[in-house]
Amino acid sequence: MPIAWATAWRTWQMTRRAYPWTYAVGTVLPAALAISLAYLGYHAIGGGTVAADFQQGSGTTAYLAYVVVGATAFQFTVRLILWSAKALITEQRQGTLGALLVAPAGRFPYLLGFTVFAVLSSLVEFLTLGLVIAALGVSVPVSSAAGALLGALALVAAVFALSVGLGGLMIAAGEAHISQNTVFIVLGLVGGFTFPRDYLPLWAQWFAELLPTTSAMDVLHGAFTGGQSLPDLLPRLGVCALLTAAYLLLGLLYLPRAEARAVERTY
Amino acid sequence: MSHALRVFAAEALKQHRRLFGQPIVVFSMLVWPVLQLATTYYTLRPVATASPAAANWPLAADPDRLLAFLATGTLAYAFFFSLVQSAWHLSFERTTGTLELLFLSPAGRLTLMLANGAGALLQNAWLLTCFTVAALTGFGTLSVSAWWMYGIVFLALLIPAAAWGAFLNSLLVFSRDSAFLYTILDEPLWFVSGVRLPHFALPATIQVVGAVFPLTGSLIAVRGALLEHRTLAELAPTLLALLLLSATLLAAAALILRLGEARSQRTGRLGLA
Repeated sequence: MPIAWATAWRTWQMTRRAYPWTYAVGTVLPAALAISLAYLGYHAIGGGTVAADFQQGSGTTAYLAYVVVGATAFQFTVRLILWSAKALITEQRQGTLGALLVAPAGRFPYLLGFTVFAVLSSLVEFLTLGLVIAALGVSVPVSSAAGALLGALALVAAVFALSVGLGGLMIAAGEAHISQNTVFIVLGLVGGFTFPRDYLPLWAQWFAELLPTTSAMDVLHGAFTGGQSLPDLLPRLGVCALLTAAYLLLGLLYLPRAEARAVERTY
Repeated sequence: MSHALRVFAAEALKQHRRLFGQPIVVFSMLVWPVLQLATTYYTLRPVATASPAAANWPLAADPDRLLAFLATGTLAYAFFFSLVQSAWHLSFERTTGTLELLFLSPAGRLTLMLANGAGALLQNAWLLTCFTVAALTGFGTLSVSAWWMYGIVFLALLIPAAAWGAFLNSLLVFSRDSAFLYTILDEPLWFVSGVRLPHFALPATIQVVGAVFPLTGSLIAVRGALLEHRTLAELAPTLLALLLLSATLLAAAALILRLGEARSQRTGRLGLA
């Protein structure tokens, strides 16, 4: 645990000193624009109504609240992946990966430290986003506060599990730009963030089931706009926990191989 | 003039060699825009297929037409975004130390900035152009008044985009935190220019801000010509405004380059402020 805190503290100091605004603007701006897009479309085009198939897929007519939850969660996911999955390749680029590998620190707490930092800094950024949402006058109903909290925790865990393996892939390939953006865009399309997954072709829906974030998003949407209570949400939470455990296990098994490959490629 | 043309060709070739054949081109110009288009389409579909939508926005009354509207937006955005990316690449010259060499050479500064953008533009955007034309023809939602309007569409994208690229390149050459500018110019660009929403849906203040960006005018011209069956005479005011805006951007780029270079000769720093 000291390793996790030390990593989180180091990252905080580094970000505060070198890039105080880049990351905050990079998180708040895309989410605020995505929400504003939905807001303008809803009022100017839909005339304050949505199509019937949206209600069938999402269980609500509160389109704006649905998009607010989805866009915020998506930006949070992106931010978490950018910190946790890119931690190792950043060390590699700065030339400190070798030092990290010989240090007597476990990789699991090290990556956890990045996630702790990302979650805490994102919370501050989302307070700013909350101001934007309040200014637009969108109110988000909460049908199960406990479900929402568990859903948020499930999303953090799912993204962390995903990031472990992805970080390994990045250092093994020595490339982050293509892999990270492809993951973001695929997640945004099939993950059920800003629209119900029923709109997608069937094969894409099944593919989405293989991603741990999809079930976490079902829980979050269900707990906010879906009008579901905690017992209704438990099955999807269970699915998310199983997938998260599987991804984490695979990631932790793969990571040492990826590290070996990255080092062999460099020297 | 022939000297400027030779510099232009050489710089465009350099940019071409650096980017061409890399997987990043396929991803950033085809895979990502197409997936992003699908996400936007599905996110907006609930409001565009709501019952009052057909009266509010007849152009996108059915899902196919909504997709065509968003696809033209994606096409024009890709043209402009490939320039943001090329400007970002130019800022690498700053880190690798070759920017000073460019300023030592007798090549025209504005020609270099234009060529750097144009090289990226021509080879990046053809991919998405092919795709969009194929997709739109497949939908059967195209409504074009004459065959040569395709040429007008191409010019309405190319000229403002090249001017925008020269402007961005000049700006980024003299900025330290290029990633920050990249974020600022990427996301708000699609929002204020009406890439994903029709102009009437945007508030008046945003429309005014959007008018500064050449992408706004390009989109009006492209959509008018491809989807709304507009003739050249109908589009003439828009095209004229685009031409004026492009000329202003080029003049601004020339001014930035002159001021920045004079300042760096005096202070040894590469920055405008």
